[in-house]
Amino acid sequence: MNVLEASHINKYFHDPAKFHVLKDMSFAIRKGQFTSITGKSGSGKSTLLYLLSTMDTQFEGSIKIKGEEMQGKSNKWLAEFRNHHIGFVFQFHFLLPEFTVLRNVMLPGLKRAEYSPGEVEHKAYTLLKLLGVEDQANKRAALLSGGQQQRVAIARALINDPLIVMGDEPTGNLDSKNTAIVFDLFRKLAAENGQTMIIVTHDDDFAGKSDHVIHLADGRVLN
Amino acid sequence: MKKRLSEIGLASSIAFTYMRAKLKQTIIATAGVTFGITVFIFMVSFIQGTNEYTQDIVFEQSPHLRLYNEVQLNKKNGLDRAYPGMVNVIHHQKPKDILLNLKDANHVLDELKNDSRVLAASGSLSAQVFYRLGSCSLNGKVNGINFESENILFNLSNKIVDGGFEELSTKPNSMLMGVGLAQKLNVKTGDQLRITTERGDSFIITVVGLFKTGLTDIDKQQSYASLKTVQRFLKVPSSYLTEIKVKLHDKELAPKISQEFQRKYACYGSDWKKDNSSLLEGDVLRKMIVYGVAGTILLVAGFGIFNILTMMIYEKMEDIAILKATGFSDTDVRWVFLTQAFVIGTVGAIMGLFFGFLLSYAVSKVPFHSDVMITLDHLPVSFKTIYYITGFTFGILTTSLSGYLPSRKAAMMDPIAILRG
Ligand SMILES: Nc1ncnc2c1ncn2[C@@H]1O[C@H](COP(=O)(O)OP(=O)(O)OP(=O)(O)O)[C@@H](O)[C@H]1O
Ligand SMILES: [Mg+2]
Repeated sequence: MNVLEASHINKYFHDPAKFHVLKDMSFAIRKGQFTSITGKSGSGKSTLLYLLSTMDTQFEGSIKIKGEEMQGKSNKWLAEFRNHHIGFVFQFHFLLPEFTVLRNVMLPGLKRAEYSPGEVEHKAYTLLKLLGVEDQANKRAALLSGGQQQRVAIARALINDPLIVMGDEPTGNLDSKNTAIVFDLFRKLAAENGQTMIIVTHDDDFAGKSDHVIHLADGRVLN
Repeated sequence: MKKRLSEIGLASSIAFTYMRAKLKQTIIATAGVTFGITVFIFMVSFIQGTNEYTQDIVFEQSPHLRLYNEVQLNKKNGLDRAYPGMVNVIHHQKPKDILLNLKDANHVLDELKNDSRVLAASGSLSAQVFYRLGSCSLNGKVNGINFESENILFNLSNKIVDGGFEELSTKPNSMLMGVGLAQKLNVKTGDQLRITTERGDSFIITVVGLFKTGLTDIDKQQSYASLKTVQRFLKVPSSYLTEIKVKLHDKELAPKISQEFQRKYACYGSDWKKDNSSLLEGDVLRKMIVYGVAGTILLVAGFGIFNILTMMIYEKMEDIAILKATGFSDTDVRWVFLTQAFVIGTVGAIMGLFFGFLLSYAVSKVPFHSDVMITLDHLPVSFKTIYYITGFTFGILTTSLSGYLPSRKAAMMDPIAILRG
């Protein structure tokens, strides 16, 4: 079953000059699949991931998630959809610096309001523990190291048990031991919960161990 | 609905975290609102207090409506009657020597007393006189009144500072005199003095008491005597009254009822609004000044809020993007910033009301003596709930308005532009 279908995606940047970043891309990702997106720096990996995450709505073509068309939906609808179904780990930005680590992880869960704050907190704490940062739970997020922040961001992406976890180099700041922990966690979530992983990576080793690789070159998908 | 509330709750909890992180600016913005409302409350209370005080003494001396007769030129003159249809030009026409009394005044009085809208009515007769002091004479006025009914209208017995009014109706040629006038004439209760009427008749009168209304004009020129006494001064019959003063149950109806009575009794009339129009006009102007000053201060306070929020939104662009990426809607983000404006506005306004009250209260305890406002011993301050309600609404309104623009900006921010880094 395809959880995500992209067909004939075209994306342009207009500033400073018209620039065709993504050219007629079509691909499908199955439920529970561990997918890596690779490609040279500047090949459009982040740009593609922003489209898939529904945050960037300026594109041509169609993206269907769970069979639902994302093109043309309102901001409000998309925000709720992201909240429920998509967990995102950013390449450069991580946490809300003035909130505690625990609160950062809890916020999307509190927004969803499906479980009580107590349950959300418990879940957040469990995730922090899985990622080895539970001892930082009550610190202000700004005080954590880059790698610690990235792991907290991963925990936050997982709080609502999303259908798809998207990461833009989520292990970019991590040492090999923690990279392995994150990789194993993603693997386990994919296998046991059927959650789909779409991860942008430069790490050939990481990509090599995934189920499916989408390689971008010159704005196109290479097979 | 419940979901909406919990969303606003979550947004406010985020707002509170931001405010705690920016405590200093938040306090300054709140203090701005507090200051604005404090000044507003204080100024309104003080200015209104003074207004009300002066109005009270003036209105206490001013009947709700009065009926009188006036010297006027005959519109139809003799020539017109003799040569109708011709163009008749009369240069410098003079009035007929008419009597200024109200026709059938006692009958009118009786009718008025039975009117359900009328609380009390009193007929009076005033006479221009000269008070003789040795070889000098002072111009003044004697009001002939029926003390009982005049007392209902103007609460005269409270204003008597020396002597009493009992003798007024029993003792012939007795008088209550304004304190200012008595001082000028150098007379005390029990003294006698001579007055001369316009026609040149002289009478010896006895001062049986002194009164003090607080209005210099009255206290320095007027005296009260019984109707009979003044009628005797003027050599007119006992039905002769020049003015009927009326107190109504609802004084707002005065202009309308005045019109009606004028038509019915064929006389002239005026009401308290007409008689005191300059005072009432001044009241409106003073209110405009108060609202203008308070509005300006609140505008500055509102600008403070606008500033802190705009700054915060630029600082928190990444946070806004992350919140939106993780599923917070534009509306949620707007609430994060609107809540801050609300909290600053509400806390500022409540503190403003409190300090405004405190300041007004303190000022109302300041002793104050004045020659003009004689019955005053402390500064007049008015404490009315409506000022506090207005102040609060005013504060909340300006802060919400100044929070609206920045929060809308935050809501419209495109997360992707920020996250691309
Ligand atoms: N807002 C923008 N306006 C114009 N051009 C842009 C914009 N954002 C990205 N680009 C361009 O689009 C191309 C793809 O950028 P993108 O960030 O997707 O690359 P990437 O594959 O994620 O690179 P990296 O591996 O370094 O993160 C680049 O050439 C970049 O310069
Ligand atoms: Mg990138």
